Amino acid sequence: MRFEIKAATGITHLAIEGELDAVSVSELRPDLEKLVKGRPTVVEVDLSSLRMVDSSGIGALVSLYKRVRAQGGSVVIKGLRDQPLAIFRLLRLDRVMLGADTRSPPPANKQSKSRH
Amino acid sequence: MIRLQLLGILEHRDVALRAVSTACKLVTPRPQGRAWNDFQMKVVSAVGEAFNNIVLHGYANRPARAQRGEQQIREQQGSIDLRIQTRRGHIRIELRDWGPGFDPRRVPPPVFDTLPESGLGLFIMQSFMEMAFRSGRPNLLTLSKRYVERSSAVRKSEGAT
Repeated sequence: MRFEIKAATGITHLAIEGELDAVSVSELRPDLEKLVKGRPTVVEVDLSSLRMVDSSGIGALVSLYKRVRAQGGSVVIKGLRDQPLAIFRLLRLDRVMLGADTRSPPPANKQSKSRH
Repeated sequence: MIRLQLLGILEHRDVALRAVSTACKLVTPRPQGRAWNDFQMKVVSAVGEAFNNIVLHGYANRPARAQRGEQQIREQQGSIDLRIQTRRGHIRIELRDWGPGFDPRRVPPPVFDTLPESGLGLFIMQSFMEMAFRSGRPNLLTLSKRYVERSSAVRKSEGAT
């Protein structure tokens, strides 16, 4: 697993590559802690090169999402595909973590949040 | 049958998953295409969670003592016995461990609306594979999954997309 954090004006970019799992998540957590303490306004998480994620990796991403939002910021998750996308869908995170922050237009027939 | 004796440490998880990933190729003469990729992804994801559960919960707080003998490792540090059985259209994986057992039926499903940060591994395992658990010495977790061969017409259709 490799990751990179870049702070730009108004947006903090986090890119994670490879496998985010119970083994590698311990390398990421201290930097996520620093990231959250910086009270970012927007965190853009690029997962386009993430090949595999497990429940430990998901836990770290959910924690980041909840803590940034609790501080009034937002988290935008981009680039999910293959196994990570399947896990997000299985755990229904796509409805919440992607739906709230991807800023994509809602489907034309969407009536309420509960129908995602 | 493929059989691996592993230490109950996260560093050995990749060894287990590589074996499982490769074994997925044995369920079909054509290990490729969308359906097979999905099958392999689900099997590897489920076994990864099972391995995590044993190491992080079953063998929590056990110091690594890799220099000891096999029996001592099993009793003191913890080992994982992984057995993989394949036949056409089916894979069955058994994980044996010597930690305290648990009853998966007593684990409540995650409440997704609260964005849980833990307790997701068991749900992933049960969603992606058939699961059975027998508590004891050793505990025995069995994960199995069928693979349904796609017809050549479906494969051609997948290849065209």
